[in-house]
Amino acid sequence: MNYFQLFNIEASFDVDIQELSSSYQTLQKTVHPDKFAHSSEQEQRIAVQKSAQINDAYQTLKNPLQRAEYILVQRGVEMPNEQHSFQDTSFLMRQMELREMLEDVKFSSNVDAALAEVQSVLSNECSQLSQLMRTQISENNAASNLAACDNLRKLKFYQKLNVEVDRLEDSLFDD
Amino acid sequence: MALLQIAEPGQSTVPHEHRLAAGIDLGTTNSLIASVQSGNASTLSDAQGCDILPSIVSYQADNTLVGQTAQALSIEDAQNTITSAKRLIGRSLQDIQSKYPSLPYDFCGDENHPEIMTRQGAVNPVQVSAEILKSLNSRAQAALGGDLTGVVITVPAHFDDAQRQSTKDAAKLAGVSVLRLLNEPTAAAVAYGLDSGQEGVIAVYDLGGGTFDISILRLNKGVFEVLATGGDSALGGDDFDVALVDYFVEQAGLVRPLSPSLERQLMQQACFAKEQLTAKDQVEITISLDDNSDWQTSLSKAKLNELIGSLVNKTLRACRRTLKDADITIDEVIEVVMVGGSTRVPLVRSEVEKHFNKTPLTSIDPDKVVAIGAAIQADVLVGNKPDSEMLLLDVTPLSLGLETMGGLVEKVIPRNTTIPVAKAQEFTTFKDGQTAMAVHVLQGERELVDDCRSLARFELRGIPAMTAGAAHIRVTFKVDADGLLSVSAMEKSSGVESSIEVKPSFGLDDKQISQMIKDSMSNAADDMQARMLKEQQVEASRVIESVQAALLADSKLLTSEEVVVIESAINTLAQVSQGQEIKAIESALDTLNDSTAVFAERRMDSSISQALAGQAVDKM
Repeated sequence: MNYFQLFNIEASFDVDIQELSSSYQTLQKTVHPDKFAHSSEQEQRIAVQKSAQINDAYQTLKNPLQRAEYILVQRGVEMPNEQHSFQDTSFLMRQMELREMLEDVKFSSNVDAALAEVQSVLSNECSQLSQLMRTQISENNAASNLAACDNLRKLKFYQKLNVEVDRLEDSLFDD
Repeated sequence: MALLQIAEPGQSTVPHEHRLAAGIDLGTTNSLIASVQSGNASTLSDAQGCDILPSIVSYQADNTLVGQTAQALSIEDAQNTITSAKRLIGRSLQDIQSKYPSLPYDFCGDENHPEIMTRQGAVNPVQVSAEILKSLNSRAQAALGGDLTGVVITVPAHFDDAQRQSTKDAAKLAGVSVLRLLNEPTAAAVAYGLDSGQEGVIAVYDLGGGTFDISILRLNKGVFEVLATGGDSALGGDDFDVALVDYFVEQAGLVRPLSPSLERQLMQQACFAKEQLTAKDQVEITISLDDNSDWQTSLSKAKLNELIGSLVNKTLRACRRTLKDADITIDEVIEVVMVGGSTRVPLVRSEVEKHFNKTPLTSIDPDKVVAIGAAIQADVLVGNKPDSEMLLLDVTPLSLGLETMGGLVEKVIPRNTTIPVAKAQEFTTFKDGQTAMAVHVLQGERELVDDCRSLARFELRGIPAMTAGAAHIRVTFKVDADGLLSVSAMEKSSGVESSIEVKPSFGLDDKQISQMIKDSMSNAADDMQARMLKEQQVEASRVIESVQAALLADSKLLTSEEVVVIESAINTLAQVSQGQEIKAIESALDTLNDSTAVFAERRMDSSISQALAGQAVDKM
């Protein structure tokens, strides 16, 4: 049973989040360990297992990047290792520029504005890439799947940058 | 032949039996116990009619006092009277001493297992908490007229694994059976949510004596889904008091170290002043110094606000970050719930109101709301409400990870992941011919090992010698519904396995706990045996009852041969559990469990498909 079947929803990148979450809650109402708190240890153990599997499936389908990866892997696309080198030099150059931009935020005369600027640049580039990946996933042929996979890897770079932005924000506003 | 009972459709198959259950708010400053009686959750009072139990334990020569009587001794006998043990639980000595440098205790034990030397000998903070739990448990037994089947104990959402484990250990020492550890803000949401039937996103701001939590939840048809939680496990009203004490010490020109009783007196006066300034604008303070002279000062509300302003700001920063984690904007929050005695401080209320742009909810007593929510959850968990739609989906407060080369932390489970959760990550060897691997488990958000909390270390040995990078070591992290972690590691090609219940570096191990239980019983060996026998008998009857109910409902999932095997295992267990042989009961239990393993799986899978089918019908 794949994750889409588990939640009884259509297998597509465009998931109806409302529908997904309503199925998820129905399933958890059935298997959550709280429903077995007065049952035998064995039933409790199975409940924890099932509930964890359902949580994992839900997180995978809820998060767009994880969902994309799941769909592509299901289609048999081989995900390159994270350490695998990237061929697209212009993308790598852009990443370095963005990192420098982020580095410079704390030296800016207006830190708030500089941070907001970085965030808006990142979010624009991210949504363009996401849109592209979405189209490629829905085309669903050998070439488009590989292209989607490539864009997914790029989006993961952006995800890491976003984590850096959060860290920076925390460090700027902490004592 | 016995007559089978057939339940009416929609009714529970198990004959109704009301089980006694309670919710316990094991607080830093005060503790409470509450229970649902004829549909209403309320706190239980002691013989004097008092429901709040100060979380204070005093070790006297011939007895141990808990609550008000202990509090009365907290100044004159500060060294033997432990307050705020919750701030010490699951922490290292260094941690404690750097955070609270002026505690009036005589610390002993080792770095990772700090103890306090009292006139009754060395006492672990877990034992102190156990005394409080024992006192609440016997209060509940008296009030409800029987033994409790189980309790829900609340913990700050931000508690780490060591603190949660220690809390559960305290319950074990006290002899109370824990149905669930429940996060305090989630408990508060339950208490409010059921009253108002709200749907939407709410924020719970929980500022207690020693801890601060902020949780963002989505409420939907009885489901409480925690989207994100944040806070500080060492920030609370006590810190307001500490700020005031430091101010008094400076104003009075006192030089530290001060005597334990003067430190205690200053803390009490600070707390008194803080409480008075809730209603008044000015308060007079008198401290009697060690030379018996009095020192007097007056404190204004403005000065108090100035002293605690940065602490309150710190809580608001945590709110901002948690909202971001939840991917929720301030405007989406329909309600802000205030929990914890420290939310009575006017500055806290006004700043929270300003931050969320909403008048916070305070209709349930902020001191009692957590215990009440826990009681409601306990009533459901113990099985008194089989048709309840309520479900709490909580999250891990802190990221869990492993140490990798170069002292870096690789996150395996990020913070705010819904529990229970199981996640695996693969690692490989670093050197040619490497046959062992050290697994170091950490908790925290930072990148460097040194900045995170070390939870446990263990070793995977016997990896076949291979070239560097060829071995595939799969490390699995599991977090259960109490938020407790267990970790296992396996080399995939050889199947060599190693696992650990993460018994954190700072907690007690099982041996220490059973030793403490033994020590606490007058007639150690016999009592221990009796207790173990009772536990096994209870488990046996629970298993029999649940298997019988399962057979009644779902025997269609079994072949007739399978039914025969199960029924005979039930009969054996039923017979053996009448006797006194612990080992025999254990083995009969194992046999029954083995014979029903497949059945239990099938039932779970069948209920999953039924649930979805039911939902599909609802849609049409």
